[in-house]
Amino acid sequence: MKRLINNIKDFVLRLYKKYENLGYKVKKKIKFIIGRVFLYYVLIELAYLFLLPFIYILTTSMMSAQDYMDPTVQYIPTHINWENFQKAWMGLDIVAVDPSLDTDMFDPTISDYYSTLLNTIILSLGSAILQSVTCALVGYSLGRFKFRGRLFIMLFVIIILLIPPQTTITASFFMWSQMAMAEGFYAVLIPTIFGHGLRGALFILIYMYFFQRIPDVMDDAARIDGAGPIRVFVQIMFPLVKSALTIVFIFSFVWHWNDNQETLTYTYLPQHNTFQEALSKIQQNYLEELGYDGGAISETLRASSEPVLFAGCLMVMFPVLIVYILGQKRLVAGIERIGVIE
Amino acid sequence: MAKNKNTKVLTKKQLAHRRVKTTFLSFERRRNLEGIVFSIPWLIGLVWFLFIPLFMSVKMSFYNVNGQDLWCNTGLSTWVGFDNYVEVIKDPEAGQVVLNSFMSALYQVPVIVAFALFVAVLLKQKFPGRVYFRVIFFIPVILSGVIMSYLFSDNVGNISVFGQIVANNQFLSGFGGIASQIGHIMWRSSVEILIFLAALQSVPDILYEVVDLDGATAWESFWHITLPYVSPFVILNCIYALVDSFVDSTNPVMSLLNGMDKYGERAALSWLYMLMTLIVILIFILFTRRWLR
Repeated sequence: MKRLINNIKDFVLRLYKKYENLGYKVKKKIKFIIGRVFLYYVLIELAYLFLLPFIYILTTSMMSAQDYMDPTVQYIPTHINWENFQKAWMGLDIVAVDPSLDTDMFDPTISDYYSTLLNTIILSLGSAILQSVTCALVGYSLGRFKFRGRLFIMLFVIIILLIPPQTTITASFFMWSQMAMAEGFYAVLIPTIFGHGLRGALFILIYMYFFQRIPDVMDDAARIDGAGPIRVFVQIMFPLVKSALTIVFIFSFVWHWNDNQETLTYTYLPQHNTFQEALSKIQQNYLEELGYDGGAISETLRASSEPVLFAGCLMVMFPVLIVYILGQKRLVAGIERIGVIE
Repeated sequence: MAKNKNTKVLTKKQLAHRRVKTTFLSFERRRNLEGIVFSIPWLIGLVWFLFIPLFMSVKMSFYNVNGQDLWCNTGLSTWVGFDNYVEVIKDPEAGQVVLNSFMSALYQVPVIVAFALFVAVLLKQKFPGRVYFRVIFFIPVILSGVIMSYLFSDNVGNISVFGQIVANNQFLSGFGGIASQIGHIMWRSSVEILIFLAALQSVPDILYEVVDLDGATAWESFWHITLPYVSPFVILNCIYALVDSFVDSTNPVMSLLNGMDKYGERAALSWLYMLMTLIVILIFILFTRRWLR
């Protein structure tokens, strides 16, 4: 044993001596290769960790109950069980009715998968389009002009970022219900027209950074050529921040799609339900169909309901994934361009 | 003749037309006004969607509000003074939940920021395929709170390697809380990675070349060049991660708030919580002011 260790020691020492005697360029090359191997190893490992939720959702959604219970089946299911998706579809179709709600306020016949899909699309696409335009206006004014009161606006943009939504959400609901607009999408969409809404302050800051970095020559030239304020913004400045537009649009879309806190306050009626709400009820619905009546969930019930649940997750995530993949190229380009802050 | 063709002679009438108008506003002022005009909609929104709700929620915290008042628009009637606040402070369960959320933020934020900096430094290197890695590290953003909670209940984020290291080590066993959530903490660091990537791009490459010629190792150049350059962004990221963990939908305080039926108490608790988070953030900013430049 000792001899073996000595041998290894010798070998390493000899290798190191050889390395010492090498020229600067070769040394650098060896260092470079070792660095690259290390880099790829760590990155692939971490990338696996970041993809783990997706791998888990994808594989679990295709498992049958037996596969889910079987400890030898970890990721790859023995056979693809398409039924899960069918069941998840059905689970998303029935929207659970909150018994505490007034029963004549909703119409259960119009709440199904397609209406839920339509609601979610109206909400997230509508607010993404509105926010990516209106936040650009504020970002433009903060990034390009030095007027009195600019710091005041900046201060409040940051304060809005810091306030937890729960502080104002009940009061906002009260305010909207006094205007008889608490139910439906008004309360979500109207703030986005004014550049507020879900994380609007963050979008304003992103736009501000991008507008600040455009050289002054651009709009000065346009102004000298006789362009008015609106024309300068629409034709000169706004096309220059396309990458910011992509970032804001994708973020806004994804966050509205995923939000189950702020939007849920206003879309609690079944005809306004969005996917996140339906998703949070899907397991319960399916369990009720299987004959579950309260109490602890048994292992077999869990095994049969869990794959359906993750099939539902996959179905809800799918459109967002598509938007992300489509915008990915410009998103990354935009991210790289944020880099040149100052 | 040719000369005359090129130089256009203006008539008196045209010249008069061209004279600069002496307007009430100077050029500078007109531009500033333009800036204000562009942010007027936002200012209207500020009053409508921030000031009014904030004022109302302060008002609600001094009243006894039930569901009937909210749904049927009857308005606030019973003034109870500071009773809501007293009630909330007395409630041992609420205190415990709030304290827990602060404690978890305390250990999660350093982990998130350090991890994000590490990944950003790796991703900043120029190597084939980095674009794909950037996309992958940003992908957890599209996971919603609901899906996150399902993954959490299935223990997907519990990466067993970390769990085993901690479980077998007497010294590290106190960090069991982090180890079992390490996956979730990592998945929440996407935006921080993005901010760091942007910050690292602003470090001039020439500095690295200079210290490389002087014989500095990568480790030394990280501590002496990269870190001083991105230190304001470290603070920024800490603040972002703090805020994110305070208002995260998986935060137990949020579910506690959502589950409260007495809206007056709910408003009181949310105000107390907000003041506490603001104080924590202000203390943090005060202590780190000199790195913020």
